[in-house]
Amino acid sequence: MNQNAVHTLAAEQLSLAHGKTVISEGLDLTLPTSKVTAIVGPNGCGKSTLLNGLARIHKPSAGSVLLNGRDIHTLPTRTVAQRLALLPQDNTAPEGLTVSDLIRFGRQPHQGWLSAWNHDDQQAFETAVTAGDLEDLLDRPLDTLSGGQRQRAWIAMAVAQQTPLLLLDEPTSALDLGHQIEVFELIRTLSGQGKTIAMVVHDLASASRYADHMIAMKGGRVLREGSPRQVVTPELVRDLYGIHCDLIEDPATGSPLLVNVRRAH
Amino acid sequence: MTRTALFSNRRTVIANTVLLLAMLTVVLASLAMGTLHIPPDQVVHALLGQGDPLTRMVVHDLRLQRSIAGLASGAALAVAGCVMQSLARNRLATPGIIGIDNAATAFAVASVVGTGIALAPSTMALVGAATATALAFGLAGANGTRGYRFIIAGLGIGAIAGAITQLMLSQVAIDDANAAYPWTVGSLNSRDRTSILILSAGLLTGYLCLQALARSLNALQFSDPVAVALGIRLRTLRVIGLSLSVLLTGCAVAVCGPVGLIALIAPELARTVCRPGRMPITASALAGATLMLAADTIGRTLFSPLEVPVGVITAILGSPYLLWILLRPANRSMR
Repeated sequence: MNQNAVHTLAAEQLSLAHGKTVISEGLDLTLPTSKVTAIVGPNGCGKSTLLNGLARIHKPSAGSVLLNGRDIHTLPTRTVAQRLALLPQDNTAPEGLTVSDLIRFGRQPHQGWLSAWNHDDQQAFETAVTAGDLEDLLDRPLDTLSGGQRQRAWIAMAVAQQTPLLLLDEPTSALDLGHQIEVFELIRTLSGQGKTIAMVVHDLASASRYADHMIAMKGGRVLREGSPRQVVTPELVRDLYGIHCDLIEDPATGSPLLVNVRRAH
Repeated sequence: MTRTALFSNRRTVIANTVLLLAMLTVVLASLAMGTLHIPPDQVVHALLGQGDPLTRMVVHDLRLQRSIAGLASGAALAVAGCVMQSLARNRLATPGIIGIDNAATAFAVASVVGTGIALAPSTMALVGAATATALAFGLAGANGTRGYRFIIAGLGIGAIAGAITQLMLSQVAIDDANAAYPWTVGSLNSRDRTSILILSAGLLTGYLCLQALARSLNALQFSDPVAVALGIRLRTLRVIGLSLSVLLTGCAVAVCGPVGLIALIAPELARTVCRPGRMPITASALAGATLMLAADTIGRTLFSPLEVPVGVITAILGSPYLLWILLRPANRSMR
């Protein structure tokens, strides 16, 4: 598959529902190519549902998700898996599975019925191992790793899939600060290699720091969309989370920082 | 291939070799032991068509067919269990527990006691197995094979099928009830040649199909979103996997009746000895064949000339092992 071709992922009048409960209605958005997009918003605002919708895990109740202009649900799921990788929130692995075995699963969409592990698979595997900085951990079972190492291994599996599009659902949840930075920097590196990435992130500061594009959601609707500087304002923070704050510029990176955070009255 | 992969593959190869040797030992023992004891070397001679006519007759005509029946039914039950556990991602989801065995038995008994059904008992067993699975699948609703609804629906169906079997047996003449008895306890005593042939064909088909699907089936160990993201067609794969395990269970029950615990214990044993993260189809088959034939040989010889049905032996020997598996602290089989 041509890695250099431009691949686009967009939602068109997308409505998502859990059973009869409507989560989102009529969403229109396009992920900017080769950029990191952060989807932010309070708990239950529909950001994970949107991500799962974009990844064809959650079927839309109306509208469609377009992969390269074609409805994602009309494409064979294997073909989609060659273009789009997903790191979901629930990523439990079979016990005893090693890092190396996990990363190998990333080659699944590229392997034929009975075809053996080939040169391309090996190359993709090695690239993924390097990207995740996992050379020394290959033989380790996942359950013996730290949270950050485990998350790197899962991202490496998605990298081994060699897709131009990568979706991540809260890739840094339950990680301490050091491990969060580790994961975010890996995401930046991947984006630098030309991948189009969308991630659901809880922390507004990290989202501003590491994303090029931001989608702020509340109640299933997109409140605002644009670069972090355009999107993150005291008004938005109040609308999203019901808190007051002031904003200053990070002296080192220029990204917006929330200070003097307090409850709205 | 990295060194890691080679190493872990070696673990599976070693495990399968050991299981194969264990199976061959049990085969030899099953042919040697009985009312007439035949030394192992004579068994081998007889198998090669040499030795005295009496030994040849005992080995070929009396014991060999029973050993084949035991091997094939044990392997089929174990593979069916292994697949179903993986599909449901639950170690309790084996054909015996979700009522497939019981339903197959009920249908077979119905045919034996003559309720006006024309099909042979073994065909009826297969029909029963398919009916029970379809019902459990239907009652489980949107969740399919995932989650407890499938298991609970299956338990209910199994209980109803068991009750129907008892009811039928209590309503018919004693001779009919006697004829149907082997179907209700699980025994290799009542096997007939056609059923064994059907079972062997079913086992071969099921095993080859599962090997072809192995790579996709392995990915089912992850959560649904991960499997879909890897390009797995979940629904199709589940329907195929479930159909294959119904085929295997139905064919096996047609030969040996509802032998409990093999489908639960053999895959468990296979998972313990094989490389983690793979569905151990071959190892399950070998372990199931070995356990079934060993249990039958014990049942046949322990109180000789009285015979204890193999289903009783697997229950007595299997339960403690099952408890040990469930209670041991490091619970490392499915997840």
